Amino acid sequence: MAGPLAPTRAPETTEEELGDLDRPWVTIVWNDPVNLMTYVTFVLQELFGYDEPTATTLMLQVHHDGRAIVSSGPRERMEHDTSRLHAYGLWASYQRDS
Amino acid sequence: MKPFRARGGRLVARLDRAEAGIVGLLLDQLEQLLDADRADSTGDPVIARLFPAGHRSDAALADDYRDLTEQSLRGGKADDLATVRATLPADGGEVRLDTDQAGAWLRTSNDLRLALGTRLDISEDSEPPEEIVDEGDHQLAVYYWLTALQGSLVDALVAARAGRR
Repeated sequence: MAGPLAPTRAPETTEEELGDLDRPWVTIVWNDPVNLMTYVTFVLQELFGYDEPTATTLMLQVHHDGRAIVSSGPRERMEHDTSRLHAYGLWASYQRDS
Repeated sequence: MKPFRARGGRLVARLDRAEAGIVGLLLDQLEQLLDADRADSTGDPVIARLFPAGHRSDAALADDYRDLTEQSLRGGKADDLATVRATLPADGGEVRLDTDQAGAWLRTSNDLRLALGTRLDISEDSEPPEEIVDEGDHQLAVYYWLTALQGSLVDALVAARAGRR
């Protein structure tokens, strides 16, 4: 394991993430009348590491527009993100970005 | 009920005996629902809400997604339910949770609210019952009681997270 003084390694996913721009799949959270606004914000921070303002903006988009894109990338990762959201009871699905 | 608060790195609430009893019953019902044969629960709106389609317009992708994820989603829900049951004071009293246990309470209480909310046809305009005259009012009251409990747990976890920074 690297010690605390080891340089922070740039994530190896950089190139893959650039490639992701060409793979237009997205994960969407849909509005539902049960999930609390505070809960949705909390879950988005917990699962995706969004800061509080970003998570709140996405939550409000879900609330007002009926849906928000919460992540994008290759299909397999969107399947995975969708299942993590389903584990928390959020109403989510993935699709090719339109 | 004394709602959840963050205290000394734990999430702490207090339930009276009747409240703990209701949670226990709801856990039993949720467990039965999750244990039911998949074929028997086809078309049940609660199961459809707890295990939504991964893809909305492509049935083949939705089937793939279900094959890929449903078993582990069911396993996760069963584990969470067991954690809640193990940390629920059956005769009422203090609920004291570490962060992992709090996660289980968060997800399970949400599943209970999704299940009840679907059965009761909760909408954005729904409100707590003004008085309890029939079984429907009672269930609605339970739904809003769970909402308060879960809401306090979210707030306490947010406070605990802010405190760690």
